[in-house]
Amino acid sequence: MDPSEQEIFRAAIRGDREAFEMIIRTQSRALFAIAYGILQNRSDAEDVVQDAFIKAWRGRWKLRDAEKLPAWLGTIVRHRARDLARKRKPEPLPDELSDQLQELAPIEDSLGKHLRAAIAELPELHRAALTLRYFEELDYAAIERLLGLSNGALRGILGRALQTLRKRLRPALTASE
Amino acid sequence: MKTPLTIHDDIESWLAAEAHDQLSVSEREALHRHLVECLACRQLHREEKNMHKLLEENLSTEKADPAFEHRMLASFRQRVPDQRGHFAAFVIHAFRLRATQIAAAAVILLALLQTGRMLTHEGNDTTENRLLSTEVAAAAAPQNAPVLDSLGKTASRSTGKPAALAEARSKDQTAAPPPVALMESRSNTQSEADSAAPADGMISKTEQVAQSPASAATDQRKVVRSARVELEVASFNDSLQQIVDLAKANGGYVATSNSQKQANGKLQGEIVVKVLPDKLDAFLLSIRSLGELKNQSLGSEDVTKSYFDTEARLKNARVMEQRLLDMLKTKTGKVSDLLQVEKELARVREEIERMQGELKYWDAQVQLATVTVSLAEKNLEQPAAFLLKERSELALYSPRVETVYNQIKALVSPKVQISSAQLGRDNRGNVTAQVHMLLAPEESDAVITRIKSFGQVENFQVETERVAQGGEGMSQNARTKRDKVELTVTLSREEQEQAAQQTTLQIRTTEVDKKTAQLRDLVEKQSGRIRTSSFSRDPDGHEIENVLLRVPMKNYQALMGALESLGKVENVAVQREDRAGDQSEMANAPADLSIQIYSQGSIVSSNTGLIATLRHTLGQGAEALMWSLRMIGVAIAFVAPWAIALALIIWIVRLIARRRR
Repeated sequence: MDPSEQEIFRAAIRGDREAFEMIIRTQSRALFAIAYGILQNRSDAEDVVQDAFIKAWRGRWKLRDAEKLPAWLGTIVRHRARDLARKRKPEPLPDELSDQLQELAPIEDSLGKHLRAAIAELPELHRAALTLRYFEELDYAAIERLLGLSNGALRGILGRALQTLRKRLRPALTASE
Repeated sequence: MKTPLTIHDDIESWLAAEAHDQLSVSEREALHRHLVECLACRQLHREEKNMHKLLEENLSTEKADPAFEHRMLASFRQRVPDQRGHFAAFVIHAFRLRATQIAAAAVILLALLQTGRMLTHEGNDTTENRLLSTEVAAAAAPQNAPVLDSLGKTASRSTGKPAALAEARSKDQTAAPPPVALMESRSNTQSEADSAAPADGMISKTEQVAQSPASAATDQRKVVRSARVELEVASFNDSLQQIVDLAKANGGYVATSNSQKQANGKLQGEIVVKVLPDKLDAFLLSIRSLGELKNQSLGSEDVTKSYFDTEARLKNARVMEQRLLDMLKTKTGKVSDLLQVEKELARVREEIERMQGELKYWDAQVQLATVTVSLAEKNLEQPAAFLLKERSELALYSPRVETVYNQIKALVSPKVQISSAQLGRDNRGNVTAQVHMLLAPEESDAVITRIKSFGQVENFQVETERVAQGGEGMSQNARTKRDKVELTVTLSREEQEQAAQQTTLQIRTTEVDKKTAQLRDLVEKQSGRIRTSSFSRDPDGHEIENVLLRVPMKNYQALMGALESLGKVENVAVQREDRAGDQSEMANAPADLSIQIYSQGSIVSSNTGLIATLRHTLGQGAEALMWSLRMIGVAIAFVAPWAIALALIIWIVRLIARRRR
């Protein structure tokens, strides 16, 4: 993390609104990726990120170490997203997703549908890591910081996630080939 | 992970990292080497690439749209309006610091401690009061100089000001016009008022001279010397003559003398002698030889100050007189003014005369010392007569005090006088009487014998005193006269005589009351008397009658025999005191009997029965329960305030935390 960024974090914790708005600008996409990864729903994910920023601003005095601000934000988002996901669990997630998918991309219907279903079955953390990587193309270091993981752990998580998806999609993949 | 085998085992994460381009150069080379060797991994690698591509294609479409950040910012700004002041920001930031939190905790603890001390009045508030009082004193000191002395400490604190002030004050006092100056200024003339100043100067000067102890002007001192001598001499007149001679020899004279004859024919008197002060000591020595010295005192009074004061005032007054005379001579001004001057002149002259007289008196006093000699003739002669005084005290016992009292009063005649008589009854029913009588000497023996017959004599004392009259010592030919006899008669119903024999016994019976009545009859028959009796009954039915009675010794045996009829006689104890005396006296001597008539109550008392024991036990149990309840209350009282305080603190902390959010 470069020093200027740390300076911004520190200022934000001290109550500098401009610094905090800067953080909103730089971190909101990544946080959205995490929320989406867990919720698999854009509007819900957006709400979660919004709420997370408000909560972070109000509770900023709790944070002692400015360096850990991204991880802290990530934790808030994950917790809120998980809470929200738990609340609406009865809803059949994959169906909703597939409906959207059909509206958005009717061409690659079957393979996309399979992919989404497979993703939906992954563990939360795996989904979050995946979305962070594929939404924002963040390097591993940034993902580690946001999710509070070590390099080895992240590599393992992504490796297993891709492996699971491959196994699930192998028939579809071969069919498409 | 560095070894090929490890890559093979962990191939999935390697492949993912490779697909995501997150491998270092050396790692990538290592992976490629492995892929060349391992067919299975190569297969997976191909699949992984397809998978990665698929994910990229699918997921990148789902990412946040370009306006996302703006929406986030807008919603943040809307939901968190920027209204916090710098102070609030500072406070919040300050609370993030651990030092601030520790300090806050310490402050709360201290506040609690102080509150506790205030509630328990443990603190030493006297120190506070003391500080306050010194402060007040310090504030008051500059305005109030005389207070300084009583407040030594405070004065030393703020020395400068008050000291200077006190000095100024004393200056004021010396500068203030003395009575003379006031007197002068009354005459309304400006020029005269001026003269006050030199007069003041002179006075203070003389004062200084008079007051300085080492001053050479000791011969100028005005000291009035006086002495007082008390002598006992053989003959007053001889001594007086000698004193007159001695006074003359010492340059003095006898100023006054007086004498008077006393009851015993002796002369006593006082002589005032004036002698020269220098010869006072010699004179005193010489008059000592006249007789026996009883008392001598020598005194001196220094009147120097008053003398010179008066002298100075006199000078002033003379100056004043001269001026007034000058004014009269020039005769300017109105008639009324002249009259005023005349009046003033008269007053000043009077003043001058008074002061002159005063000075003369002092001069006379100083010139001659005063010696006052008290002379008294010695008591050498024999007494003229003796008076025989007789005092008698008679204590009589009689059951009928009032009758005897009236009989004594009936004896009154010119030769038998009663000086005081009193009859009284105390709260226990004892009647006593006391009569003071004066008896003519010739009648006294007959009257005393008569009174003795009225009752039983308990005590009789006669005291005789011979008083010498008109002298001391023994005399062969002086006659002795009998004076009136004083007689004090004390009457009482309770004889004081000790019993010759004391007996205690118990009688057990079932009917205590009835047996007591019988006992009274028996005692009456044996010409005895019941002195005290008491009755008591306890809840268990015990009845006890204690009777103390007295019978003559001669009837004792008969009574003892009769007691057997009352009940079972137990525990008989006898104590006798044999007196030297004839048999008849012994037979009349009193014997005391202390008899206890009692009945036995029920075996098990109502207090110790089964029900009573149960009741007791229950009562004690309830008491213990109440006690424990009280202790619980005390414990709550101990703990509750702290628990409430703790709860309050936690609540406040949580409130603050919530507000901040």
